[in-house]
Amino acid sequence: MSTFQLDSHYGRFGGCYAPETLMPALIELEAAFVEARAEPEFRERLRRLLRDFGGRPTPLFHAERLGAEWGLDLWLKREDLLHTGAHKLNNALGQALLAQRMGKTRILAETGAGQHGVACATVCALLGLDCVVYMGEMDAQRQVPNVERMELLGARVVIVRAGQRTLKDAINEALRAWVGDPDAHYLLGSALGPHPFPTIVAFFHEPIGKEAAAQYREQAQTDQPDLVLACVGGGSNAIGLFRGFMDNPEVALVGVEAGGTGSAPGEHAARWAGGREGVLHGCKTLVLCDDDGQILATHSVSAGLDYPAVGPEHAQLAEQGRARYLSASDDEALAGFAALARFEGILPALESSHALGWLLARREDWRGMSVLLGLSGRGDKDLATVLPLLGGTR
Amino acid sequence: MTGRMKALLAAPSPGPGPGIAPYITAGDGGLERTLAVLHGLERGGAVCVELGLPFSDPLADGPALQAAAQRSLEAGTTPDATLEVIRSYRDQGGKLPILLFSYSNPLWVGLGGLRASAERLAEAGGDGFVVPDLPPEEADELCAACDELDLGTVFFATPRSSIERIRSAARASSGFLYAIGRVGVTGLRTSFDDEVLDWLDFVRELAGNTPLAVGFGVAEPADIRALAGHTDLAICGTALVNHLHNTAGTPEDAAASAQALVTRLSQATRD
Repeated sequence: MSTFQLDSHYGRFGGCYAPETLMPALIELEAAFVEARAEPEFRERLRRLLRDFGGRPTPLFHAERLGAEWGLDLWLKREDLLHTGAHKLNNALGQALLAQRMGKTRILAETGAGQHGVACATVCALLGLDCVVYMGEMDAQRQVPNVERMELLGARVVIVRAGQRTLKDAINEALRAWVGDPDAHYLLGSALGPHPFPTIVAFFHEPIGKEAAAQYREQAQTDQPDLVLACVGGGSNAIGLFRGFMDNPEVALVGVEAGGTGSAPGEHAARWAGGREGVLHGCKTLVLCDDDGQILATHSVSAGLDYPAVGPEHAQLAEQGRARYLSASDDEALAGFAALARFEGILPALESSHALGWLLARREDWRGMSVLLGLSGRGDKDLATVLPLLGGTR
Repeated sequence: MTGRMKALLAAPSPGPGPGIAPYITAGDGGLERTLAVLHGLERGGAVCVELGLPFSDPLADGPALQAAAQRSLEAGTTPDATLEVIRSYRDQGGKLPILLFSYSNPLWVGLGGLRASAERLAEAGGDGFVVPDLPPEEADELCAACDELDLGTVFFATPRSSIERIRSAARASSGFLYAIGRVGVTGLRTSFDDEVLDWLDFVRELAGNTPLAVGFGVAEPADIRALAGHTDLAICGTALVNHLHNTAGTPEDAAASAQALVTRLSQATRD
């Protein structure tokens, strides 16, 4: 049956494991995406908005002090400088334009750390669309400033009290709402979910990697870095960054997931350490679940990495051996946060801090090499979490 | 197809209205209760049962069935134990066809994959599958296994599904085609007005020889009367699950309560 125009699978991962109640909307979305992607006017409008509203291209910053401290050549792709403070805007803007083109009047979105919710609320204000953001109660409590930002931008924030009250439950609720609302587009915030979402989200984040590869060649005067490193929750910033380097076998790709506080179930969100091949939220991928297939609780100090499955393209890249996926603990992430703050004057998001923390812990393995790290977001939103843990004068 | 399924598909209803096909969540109130309720449903005149295997993240379900799954999981229900209930029901002489209603992940992980799930269901005495997050596009493996093991498959049609999709879903369904009369999740009422009934007639025509079942929002005898002549089977889920949850007492009390509700529905078109 050829329901879709594009390949809906990433090897044995991905696919479209969606209820029939969602299938017509997914088919409609794919058709609209294929059409828009081929249309010069659409691409031009997106490019201009990313530039004039979003601030693309984002800089590639040579973090010389921290690099010297760690004994390596460190480059940061500064998605934290994108409007709203994280890479999420790339996808929010792209999908919102797509939704508008489809005649949708309302955007539904889930959010974990709140960055995707803020990006959606922002583009909806820009484009004059209604915006409803679903957010787990736990996440809303630890990301209060982002809840306030979304509301100031005119979005309605729906607090989800089901299940574990985090990102996965927010996705469940947003999908349920979409089923009953044909005027809405569900603006999924990571490169996961049923086809065509992983394809669409990765496409809109491709500028991260394309820019980074070109900027690196120009600024470092070398063909490529030895290592490209990014944090992986669902994996949207990582897939965007990896896409710029995937075809170059000289470049090692590493994704860093949340090691949390330990290796027991419920203490982490490390899918490659404890995940099984299964189906969650419409795609076949690695899933943290128990022997019965029930989805496990996860933990991470960072709300954006606190998710029990991962984008299917990452599952495929790992299986092919093209990318490796490793984890950093909460403590390692906090150490990474502190290091970047002190040595470079940048407060990184706790999500991005996982990539920094991983590198800090394994810097001897990469001594003398060049590392390009995706700084996916800024850390202002995390101060309430970080301050009690890292301490300070108070 | 098992003999039980064949008989059901050949004659879905004993009366003038649709056959009553209840949905219950396995292990809600404990598995002993589930087993008793299966017998109660049979005594009440149900023609088959959808037995829900509880899942932590049931994204096609509304709050009532989510809560039922949660209660069942908290009571310790597993996929293995759910199959054991089917086996016990058969051992005790239970005759109703039983379709296992499960999301994909418990089949992939809990029962060892789609093929292994089919083997184990057949061996336990089940009759088919309803997998809400497995559209025909992803169902080749399950369909092949079911075909080989004489189990039935069920796929869905909604008012937003294209004609082509409805035809494909009917073709892929060796059991019945499950029509959802409105957009949305389980648990909300559906008003079976002329528009919905016309759509059902249209779907029934597209389905050809595949029997039609209607679910989502079937709760009252009035719904059954409205559906008479427009569908072969009527699936009653949320209303029954809530009814059982609100019934205190022993497993036998729950069975009597289930029997009473199904009797009311199955008698609706015979008064």
